[in-house]
Amino acid sequence: MKIRTMAAVFAAKSAGFICRKMGRQGVTWAGKIALKINPDILEDLSSQVRKKIFVTCGTNGKTTTNNMLCAALEKEGQKVVCNHTGSNMLNGVVAAFVLAAGPTGRLDADYACIEVDEASTRHVFPGLKPDYMLLTNLFRDQLDRYGEIDITMNILEEMIRTVPKMQVIVNADDALSAYLAMDSGNPYITYGISKPVQKSAANEIREGRFCKKCGARLEYSFYHYSQLGDYKCPSCGFARPEIKYDAHDVKVGDQLSFQVEDKHLTANYKGFYNVYNILAAYAGLRTAGFSGEHFQNMLQKFNPENGRMEQFRIKGTGVMLNLAKNPAGFNQNISAVMQDKTQKDIIITINDNAQDGTDISWLWDVDFDLLGDASVHSITVSGIRCQDMRLRMKYVDIPVMLEENVETAIRKRIEDGVGNLYVLVNYTALFSTHNILKKMEGEKE
Amino acid sequence: MKLTIGHLYPDLLNLYGDRGNIQCLMRRCQWRGIEAETIAFELGDKIDFSRLDIVLLGGGSDREQMLVCEKLKEIQPDFKKYVEDGGVVIAICGGYQLLGKYYKTDQGTITGLDLVDLYTEQGEGRLISNIVLKSDLFDMPVVGFENHGGRTCINNCKPLGKVLYGSGNDGKTGYEGVVYKNVIGTYLHGPLLPKNPQLADWLIAHALEQKYGKEVRLEPLDDTEEKAANDYVYHRFVKEN
Repeated sequence: MKIRTMAAVFAAKSAGFICRKMGRQGVTWAGKIALKINPDILEDLSSQVRKKIFVTCGTNGKTTTNNMLCAALEKEGQKVVCNHTGSNMLNGVVAAFVLAAGPTGRLDADYACIEVDEASTRHVFPGLKPDYMLLTNLFRDQLDRYGEIDITMNILEEMIRTVPKMQVIVNADDALSAYLAMDSGNPYITYGISKPVQKSAANEIREGRFCKKCGARLEYSFYHYSQLGDYKCPSCGFARPEIKYDAHDVKVGDQLSFQVEDKHLTANYKGFYNVYNILAAYAGLRTAGFSGEHFQNMLQKFNPENGRMEQFRIKGTGVMLNLAKNPAGFNQNISAVMQDKTQKDIIITINDNAQDGTDISWLWDVDFDLLGDASVHSITVSGIRCQDMRLRMKYVDIPVMLEENVETAIRKRIEDGVGNLYVLVNYTALFSTHNILKKMEGEKE
Repeated sequence: MKLTIGHLYPDLLNLYGDRGNIQCLMRRCQWRGIEAETIAFELGDKIDFSRLDIVLLGGGSDREQMLVCEKLKEIQPDFKKYVEDGGVVIAICGGYQLLGKYYKTDQGTITGLDLVDLYTEQGEGRLISNIVLKSDLFDMPVVGFENHGGRTCINNCKPLGKVLYGSGNDGKTGYEGVVYKNVIGTYLHGPLLPKNPQLADWLIAHALEQKYGKEVRLEPLDDTEEKAANDYVYHRFVKEN
């Protein structure tokens, strides 16, 4: 055992402990300190993983998919390292390994499940050497940080090629992700939903309408949502690949259910997009050689946490917190909320801090008109860019209340609302809103 | 009265909330009882510019601009005539770059429409930030967001405004955008028009004047939300003296 690894692990663990004691998100700090002491820390620790290393990439669904795969592997009796909190840049990834290691720098793990920010693959891959990549989807997201979706794709493809043996477990319904997997030359395995399930709004924003291979317009026989669907290029023959793990008999409502292989899976949460998250985790588990007989059992108890459809009960009001940070995710969130036909209040919180993306023009690519329904009792806009959000809602003719402070907004709607509150927030509002709701849950009636 | 808006290639040039710009033009007409329609053109479509009153050319990625520029040659002569005759154009981001002679990138050179005397060259790093301008054309500041790798030189043309916060055309001259006849080109998205109602109205008024041949006074609208959103950006990024 390298002395520097021991020192790095010890220092980072102490830092992580202190930071958490101070109530901070100490995770990335711990990673930073460990890297300072031993720049090879990621390689030293991850090479101790006994079996396989998974990474999860893609615009939406990373945290849920990755945590679900981790839970599925644990259900099979495996020891797993995982960056549960979704800290997915280099520091966060390093921290996950450091905090899982023993004080001497020894890591006791069969598997690693690590979600990685697409642009950060450049910094993470050299030390990590994954065996499998789950690639969920590619949508426009944080254009101010990544520049353009093409740039993200170039980085991902370059990094996939640095590990030529890595199997890419890819969402076949997304032409961009599938193209990446095929073009990289790496072995790939597909999952998807081969048949149409629900109608997709006609004016939704769709990425990559033109063939990445030859530039011709792709033809779709149907869309699930955004650009996910059944596509083919009339010019060069590029098409949706055959789907190995195919969800059929998909039912979406207050809960989800579908059939894959010989298994009937049901989950107690909303949102069609969660079918993809479950399917990706299942495909990952199967690819690693497990039969998946305990998967349904895991699913029943799985709590997405971290503000992914997280539920609270405050003074008789049921509160659902959910992250929505780009057009594709927001549209899916809205349709999940609207599956609840009972009266509801909605708070939308939009921040523009660096981690959110400082460019909030994407709000105009979200189909907010779907919130214009009699079951919506009130909408409150909040957060740093609440003025932009209010203006956005003017254009769909839906009156809103404005309350910049999230906590005040929540308190007011619990006071005067219908007892069924949805809080949709983008990234930096997630943790603070989560903490506010936790705190309020603990308050006396 | 009626206006027809031509949206050029939304399939390819649809980054950064361009949908909001179209909606803004449509709604600000409709709120005043002016009929408005939008025709979306796809690559390869024949465009009859004599039917259009406002042309919107949006932003796309470099790769998508490369796909578009191949086809632009076919529409260039008609588009040029439209501009010279006083046709109204709003070109944003990639669309702004396409107004010029060329956009030189390290992947190659994209030939532009050559409608306005400007050109663009890729610079070191992208200019990404909130941005605030003061334009002679409006009392309100112009606010938005910029995200571009290209640096645009507008030669002797008139800029849209002076940069109060952000980078602008090239990050050096302190100016942003271009105004030529009834054409406005700018890097500002966010989207541009909803938060800058005076700019939207400038386009609508000029289009009506062009079409009906008389001076137009647009009925004022209740812009409370628009002004609040504009004000917020202005006060956050520009320190008042």
